[in-house]
Amino acid sequence: MHIMEGFLPWQWCIVWWLIAIPCLALGVWQLKKIIHADREALPLLGVTGGFIFILSSLKLPSVTGSCSHPTGTGLSAICFGPWITSVICAIVLLFQSLFLAHGGLSVLGANIVSMGIVGPVIGYAVYRLLKNTSVNIYLTVFLATALADMFTYATTSLELALAYPAEVGGFGTSFILFMGIFAVTQVPLAIVEGIVLALVFKYIIALKPDILIRLKIFSEAQITTARGDA
Amino acid sequence: MFEELLEDVAQTNGLREVNTWLKLAAGIGAIVLCLLSTGYAAPLLIAIILSFAILILGRVDIRTYAELFIVPLYFALMSAAVIVLISGGEHTLWSWNPLPFLPLSLSRESINTGFFVFCRVAGGMSALLFIALTTPMTDLFVVMRNLRIPDFVIDLAMIIYRTIFFLIDQVRQIHGAQVMRLGYSGWRESITTFSVMCGAAFIAAWDAGDDLVRAMDARCYDGKFALLGENRPVEIQPLCALVLFLATGAAVVTATHGMTLLQVTP
Repeated sequence: MHIMEGFLPWQWCIVWWLIAIPCLALGVWQLKKIIHADREALPLLGVTGGFIFILSSLKLPSVTGSCSHPTGTGLSAICFGPWITSVICAIVLLFQSLFLAHGGLSVLGANIVSMGIVGPVIGYAVYRLLKNTSVNIYLTVFLATALADMFTYATTSLELALAYPAEVGGFGTSFILFMGIFAVTQVPLAIVEGIVLALVFKYIIALKPDILIRLKIFSEAQITTARGDA
Repeated sequence: MFEELLEDVAQTNGLREVNTWLKLAAGIGAIVLCLLSTGYAAPLLIAIILSFAILILGRVDIRTYAELFIVPLYFALMSAAVIVLISGGEHTLWSWNPLPFLPLSLSRESINTGFFVFCRVAGGMSALLFIALTTPMTDLFVVMRNLRIPDFVIDLAMIIYRTIFFLIDQVRQIHGAQVMRLGYSGWRESITTFSVMCGAAFIAAWDAGDDLVRAMDARCYDGKFALLGENRPVEIQPLCALVLFLATGAAVVTATHGMTLLQVTP
C-alpha cells in the first residue's frame, strides 16, 4: 500500500506530513518513557520493527499507484500502543524506501499516516475494547490485526482519492474505485494476516509469556487460560 | 525480493566516497524539483540525468538498475492509466459507462495528466534510487545524529536495521527447510507453515536482540551507540556538479511551466 515517490502532488505531501508529525512527536515521548522504564523492551521494539519490514515487503501489485501486502503493524500496536508504533513504522518506511525502493521520501508522511497511525489506532482500539471481555485472546489479536490492515488500505484509498478525485462524482467515486480495486487483493490478505499474527501470538505465549505480562498486554490469568487453550 | 537489497550496492558504488550531504542534496533537491514542476519535461530530464549519474558515476550494473526501475514504472503506468480513465476533460476521445456512478473516459486533458504523473513518478523514483544506491544506511545514521534526532530513536533504528538482516537470514533458512518438507503443498498447510515460520523467526530475532543488549551492557552501553562518522570533505568537483544540476533543473522547471504532451486548445 505504500504510495510511490512522486505520485502525490506537493500540497498533499505537506498535509500528510503535518498530520504525521504530532503523532510521531507523541510516539517519541512515549518511546523515551518505555525505554527508560524497561530496557528489556528494546529488543522487542527492534524485532517488531524488523517484523513489520519483512511482512510489508511481501508485496502484490495493485493498479492504484500502490501495492498490496500484509502490514504487521497490529502486533506492534497491541504490544506498544499506536503512537510508538507510528515511530517504528516511520523508521521501517524509511528503510523500505532506501533498501527496496518501496514507497518514497516526499510521500513518507502519507504512508506513515495510513500504515503507522490509522491502522495501529484502529488495531489498538479493537484490542482495548476486547481486552477485558470474555473474548478469546487469539480472536482479539486476529480482529485487531486484520482490522488494522483493512483500515490502512482504506486510508491509502482516501489519500489517493483526495489527490485524484474523479471528474464525475469527485472524491466519492474515486474513493469507491480505489477501495474496490484494493479490496480484491486486500480483504483476503487482511484475513490471512489476522490468522498468521494470531498464530504468532500463540507462539509467543507458549515460549515467552513473561514480557506480555510485564508490559501489561494481557493479565497473567488471561495468559494462563490461553496457554491452557493452546 | 531480498536478494536485491539496495544497501549491498550502496556499499560498493562509485560515489561511495563523495560527501553524504552532497548526495542527499542532489536526491532531495531532485524530488523537490519534480514536485514543483507543472510540466512533464523537468521530471523526465531529472530521471535521465540521475539515471546516467547512477550508471556512469556510480558504476551500478545496468541490469540491476533496470530491474529496480521496472517494477515502480509498471506500478506508475497502471496508476497513470487509472488517473487517465477517471480524470475526464473537455476534449473527449472515448467514453464508457460500465456503472451508473462510474463513467470512464479518455480525453486530451486526462492523457496529459496521466503522462505528467507518470513522468513525475519516474523522476521521483530516480532521485530515490540515486540516494539509495549511492548512500549506505550507516552514513545516513551519522546524518540523523547531526540533525539532532534523539539518540534513542537512532539506537532503535540501528537495532531494527540489524534485526532486518537477522530476520532475512532466518526466514531464508526456515523457508528453505519448509519447502523441502512440502510445507507449502496446499492452502491450509501454507498458512500454518507460514505462521510457524513467522513465529520462529520472531522468537529467534527477539532472542538475538536480548543477546545484543546483554552484550552491549557488558561493554558499558549507556543508552547511546558509538557512531564513528567518517567526515568526508566537500570536494569542489562534486559541489560544482550539484550546483549545475540543481540550477539546470530549476531553469527547466520554470521554462517548461505547464508543458503538456497533447495540445489542448481552449
